[in-house]
Amino acid sequence: MKVAASIKNFLLSLAGFAAILLIWQLGVSFTSVGNLLPSPWAVAVRFVTMCTNTVGRKYTLPMHLLVSLRRVLIGFGLSAASGIVIGIAMGRSDLIRAIVRPLFELVRPIPGVAWIPMAIVWFGIGETAKIFIIFIGGFVNIVVNTFSGSRQVDENILNAAYMLGANKVQAFFKIVIPSCVPYIFSGLQVGLSTSWMAVLAAEMVSATEGVGWIITAGQQNADMPQILAGIIAIAVTGLALASLMRLLERVLCRWRVRGS
Amino acid sequence: MSEEIKVKVEHLTKSFGDLLVLDDISFEVKKGEFLCIVGPTGCGKTTFLNSLCKLYDIDSGSITMNGKPIDLKRDDIAYIFQEYSTMSWLTVEENIRYGLKIKHCGEALMRERVENVMEMVGLTKYRNYYPRQLSASMLQRVVIARAFAVEPQLLLMDEPYGQLDLQLKYHLEDELINLWRKTGTTVIFITHNIEEAVYLSNRILVLTNKPTKVKESIENPLPRPRKVSAPEFVEIRERVTELIKWW
Amino acid sequence: MTMEKKKTVIEVRDVSKTFYNREGDHLVVDHLNFNVYENEFVVLFGPGQCGKTTVLNLIAGLELPTGGEVVVNGEKVVGPSPSRGMVYQTTNLFMWYNVMKNVEFGPCVRGVKKAERRKKAQYYIDLVGLTGFEKHFPVKLSGGMQQRVGIARAYCNEPDIICMDEPFGHLDAQTRYLMEEEVDRISASEKRTVVFVTNNAEEAIYLADRIILLHNCPTSVHREYLVNLPRPRNYVAPEFLELREQITKDMDDTIG
Repeated sequence: MKVAASIKNFLLSLAGFAAILLIWQLGVSFTSVGNLLPSPWAVAVRFVTMCTNTVGRKYTLPMHLLVSLRRVLIGFGLSAASGIVIGIAMGRSDLIRAIVRPLFELVRPIPGVAWIPMAIVWFGIGETAKIFIIFIGGFVNIVVNTFSGSRQVDENILNAAYMLGANKVQAFFKIVIPSCVPYIFSGLQVGLSTSWMAVLAAEMVSATEGVGWIITAGQQNADMPQILAGIIAIAVTGLALASLMRLLERVLCRWRVRGS
Repeated sequence: MSEEIKVKVEHLTKSFGDLLVLDDISFEVKKGEFLCIVGPTGCGKTTFLNSLCKLYDIDSGSITMNGKPIDLKRDDIAYIFQEYSTMSWLTVEENIRYGLKIKHCGEALMRERVENVMEMVGLTKYRNYYPRQLSASMLQRVVIARAFAVEPQLLLMDEPYGQLDLQLKYHLEDELINLWRKTGTTVIFITHNIEEAVYLSNRILVLTNKPTKVKESIENPLPRPRKVSAPEFVEIRERVTELIKWW
Repeated sequence: MTMEKKKTVIEVRDVSKTFYNREGDHLVVDHLNFNVYENEFVVLFGPGQCGKTTVLNLIAGLELPTGGEVVVNGEKVVGPSPSRGMVYQTTNLFMWYNVMKNVEFGPCVRGVKKAERRKKAQYYIDLVGLTGFEKHFPVKLSGGMQQRVGIARAYCNEPDIICMDEPFGHLDAQTRYLMEEEVDRISASEKRTVVFVTNNAEEAIYLADRIILLHNCPTSVHREYLVNLPRPRNYVAPEFLELREQITKDMDDTIG
């Protein structure tokens, strides 16, 4: 019964895609939409050629993706590491919270892209500037979620650990950290998607490679199939990243799953 | 209590996939009866209740009220579940009125019934309070008042006192019995607590473990007010315990 | 058992507890005095929110008295200690650890070697009837089973005193009977001093060597009952029901 239902859902989602493609194709074939949009077939053909032939000077589409992914992983890795530490420190120490929180609250509402000019002034247009922008993109969400998670550690459960003889350090690693993990993950999930957006913004401003550059280059050459193929690559990669993160969460937080 | 049959359940069967939960359940409830249903923990109690309220489609069998298939829109049925399902944005009085509004009875009648029922459970003073201002016992009273205000033909209760403080529970049980005697409503009360069942009911329906069947129906003619230490009380309690004891 | 033979384990000496907050002072425990003897099963019994839990927290060291003192084995209580174990109403299990890791938590943080603490934990897991569930996470267990884990966790740390704070308050009536039988069985085979809090007269009489009926807030001792009925006790025996009626009536008097 369950298998049948999932097959049915899969077929329905395929039908949804097919309907969009059909409307797109019909629009291109029979109306003036064709002047604004290449046909889906043309985009698909371009997507394949971009995977085999170079786009720009030396990279194929998958290689451009890898360049972007590398930037994201470095920037996101940095923001995750520092964000989790700062979030927990703010949550568990009154002193650190008193000092850091006002500063953080001030920085928090600034959109990541607003840092682009500053990053270029500071770091030039090289890798460092891009990684900085990605870092900023993920950092805020990770801090916010980790902070609220570490504020919500159940005091009764902490007391239970102390009653059993745990010292502060043991209580921190065995109680505080694990009970924050679900919160940290929701921060990482949002942080990863904002990092992925930030890499595109960074690459659209100044780059000679990466998926962001593919789109901007497509715009400069009025090459719509290239723009659309780039967008599709971005969507698929973003989805893959989010799914990977969910998988990791499922493994690390399996203690929260009811049922078998 | 008359001999008139209010609710008739015949051959009620329900399964989820391959798992048979309710297996050919048949019983009757007389008009004005206070029927308690008890079964071992983990018997298909919730499924049973949800089938009775038609929240689930049943596989086979029938449930009739006054000789016709049960119809939630036509038949006046009220429910009281474990959660205090009051509406937090309405006052006590508005909460109690709510059920009557749905039934579209006139303003005068509505006012009279609300006043009556508030008086009966001692909520008159608290009419303008909001649920968050009330204690658990008061909330439970609001829920009970709302159910009785519609003068239901059938009242379904699912362990409404399970989470309450014991003193309070005893008190609310006595209040429930008083309301029931005054209104003559037919009550089906589901519980895990055997003592509670013997204290409240006219008759006890004992269910088996899954797949759930009716194991026995035990008449409970003890005079009220009942005393839990009376030998006759203990006798019925032990009989029921023997039928369902799994622990 | 004569008075001379009994070793006093817990002395609650003239203990008062006031909570201070913005609305003012709130006296919860008022000049409370009682003793608990070695291997005795004492039930603190009283109505609703009468401050029973506060008394238990004072013994556990999770709260400190504002007047008087609690002395355990000759030492004044100044904070939590592994020599006093706790079983809670909301189980307070470590949800991210499986049953085994929950039960061995106490020995683990106190530095007991892995092989030894595993063996010990397994013994208590078997004792509470959870054999086969060692690798399960708490979310997958029913309320009664979670409470068994909580009991095993407390016993596995081998404390001198076990405090139980209405551990079965959230369970349905039948599971509660089952758990009461289990506690009766466990405390017969693992002799410990137990302080058990409840507002359920049946539960109190079923389990207790001695019942201390507490006054409603502010809490003080209203009356004590020695329960000499043979174990395992029968809930519907005439003596049981008689005592229950007496205690229930006395409790109603404390509320007034």
